[in-house]
Amino acid sequence: MLYLPLANLLHHKLGSAGSALGVGISVCMLITLSGLSRGSLEEVAERWEAVDADLIVYSARWGDNITTISGGELGDADVERLERLTAAGEKCVERVVPIFLYRVSIAGQEHNIVGVAPEDLPQLLGGGEIPKPGRSFDPQNKFARWLKGRLEEDRPQGEEGPPLDISDAELAEHGGLEIVIDARLARATGLKLGEKVYTAGRNFTVVGIAPRGALARAFIPRATAQWLFSGPLGRYTLMFVKLRPGVRVGAAVEAVRRTKRLASVAIDEYRGMLQQRFGIMYLYVDTVNVVTLIVAFLFILVTLYTMVIQRRREIAILRSMGASRRFILSQVVAESMLLSACGAAAGVLMSFAAAAGIEAIKPLLTVKITWDWILTAAGAAAVGATLAAVYPALCAIRVDVIEALSLE
Amino acid sequence: MTEARYILEANGLHKSFGSGSAREHVLRGLDLKVRPAEFLAVMGPSGCGKSTLLHVLGLMASPDAGGVRIDGREAAELPEPARAEIRRKRIGFVFQRFNLLSMLSGYDNIRLSLRIRGLDQQAGIRPLLEAMGVAEVAGKKPGKMSIGQQQRLAVARAIAHKPDLLLADEPTGSLDSDNAAALLELLARANRQNGQTIVMITHSAEVAATAGRIVHMKDGRILDENV
Repeated sequence: MLYLPLANLLHHKLGSAGSALGVGISVCMLITLSGLSRGSLEEVAERWEAVDADLIVYSARWGDNITTISGGELGDADVERLERLTAAGEKCVERVVPIFLYRVSIAGQEHNIVGVAPEDLPQLLGGGEIPKPGRSFDPQNKFARWLKGRLEEDRPQGEEGPPLDISDAELAEHGGLEIVIDARLARATGLKLGEKVYTAGRNFTVVGIAPRGALARAFIPRATAQWLFSGPLGRYTLMFVKLRPGVRVGAAVEAVRRTKRLASVAIDEYRGMLQQRFGIMYLYVDTVNVVTLIVAFLFILVTLYTMVIQRRREIAILRSMGASRRFILSQVVAESMLLSACGAAAGVLMSFAAAAGIEAIKPLLTVKITWDWILTAAGAAAVGATLAAVYPALCAIRVDVIEALSLE
Repeated sequence: MTEARYILEANGLHKSFGSGSAREHVLRGLDLKVRPAEFLAVMGPSGCGKSTLLHVLGLMASPDAGGVRIDGREAAELPEPARAEIRRKRIGFVFQRFNLLSMLSGYDNIRLSLRIRGLDQQAGIRPLLEAMGVAEVAGKKPGKMSIGQQQRLAVARAIAHKPDLLLADEPTGSLDSDNAAALLELLARANRQNGQTIVMITHSAEVAATAGRIVHMKDGRILDENV
């Protein structure tokens, strides 16, 4: 029987609205912060998983977690080593996509920029294509050939030294300062085809906008990345490896391990690495959520307690009619549950609004609202409401009927 | 098993409030017997313990000494859940200050009373409200009703579950003479038609005259009885 709790809540509109709002804000924080912390990481994981490859191969010297990998530990010899890799006596690699990865600032925010050969770029676009009139950078690979020649011309083979002085105009003329950005970065920065974007100390021209879901926010010619960030060409950060049909991932990982110089993981293990590295962030976020929930339910407890104190006379009337303790308890708990249900419903709606707001203000952040977290928040609200109702309910059943009936 | 001779018996009731030198003895060995279907008025000056007597008879307060028997069975010593069950099933209260639930409509006040008593007889509510002359205002909350309407609604709530025993504490205390007369007629009708036993507290001889029997209280005791 809900009409008495409902009538009570409607009778104390301000207190009820305040309590429901408190629960709503907590539920909204729980869903939104979880969605934000997990959503952004999951979005990164999904982009890596969308690469058309089975393995990520990297230098064995890097360690177990490659989520912050950068630089140029690998070389052309490693590419050849992988192409010759065998498992169970059979060649097992169909394609190797070496990339150069580096952290740069674009439009005031840090991003991974990926240097990749033009012919390998489609493997990294998550199955999408660069929509026309956009295009890939350096489509004929002219820049890579020009840069190689320029370096050999100025510096005898094998000789190391400081980076050569190549002007921006020279780089741009040969297609080295072309960049492909993803749709989210384009939306966040307002960059359009043909516009210049300053990054890594150079002005790049946007030549293509990749669809959402591409591996990185920005792609440049691999030769440009190698020359800008590494010095010598032929250096790579990691390689994506597509296995031949029928080859087991585990067997290939083992074959890579036997090279001693290289290590590898199945591409879907990258998600676990992200969670391992940033798991502490979940702990912080979840701690804040729990504290917020506790505060919200203390608020409900105080509100209900105040309502019980204010309504001693009404409770005494119920008891004079013979209302059982169970009935009184159930009414207070039902009132608390109603408050929480209204608050939780408002909180879920607010979290969708907050997610939309966050993505509008910061388009590169992902707030992923899932049923798991909605149900968790609803469950927490129900449990919190029940606990918050216990003390006020016990006070309600202890009301002295005669004393309370004599109250004005 | 023979039927009890009295529906309600109070034997040697004592009740006091406060402690030490501030202790006030309100009931001092009070005896009272009420027969089934009787309409009894208890008269007495203010502060003589009339309301306390009604609270003890209605099992809302426990006596310090003495007993209350309902249908021959000791009830005052029972634990609260058992006393609540007797209140729920057998007793109806009409309070001087009505004690209607202000957040519910008149209709819902009666509906809730029935629901507490485990009765879901919504069909009977409307005829009862019509009989009490408050059907037209039953959708309003008590605060939007006149005093007379509120008191009639309080009586309707008290008799809706057809209790054996109706306890009324100065039921006409807040009413003008017309409303008071109408309310007393309602009580008398409940007594005549349904055989409900009524114990009514009043300090008005005119009101008490409606009852079949009048007893007087003074200093926490029953003084005499007029039949």
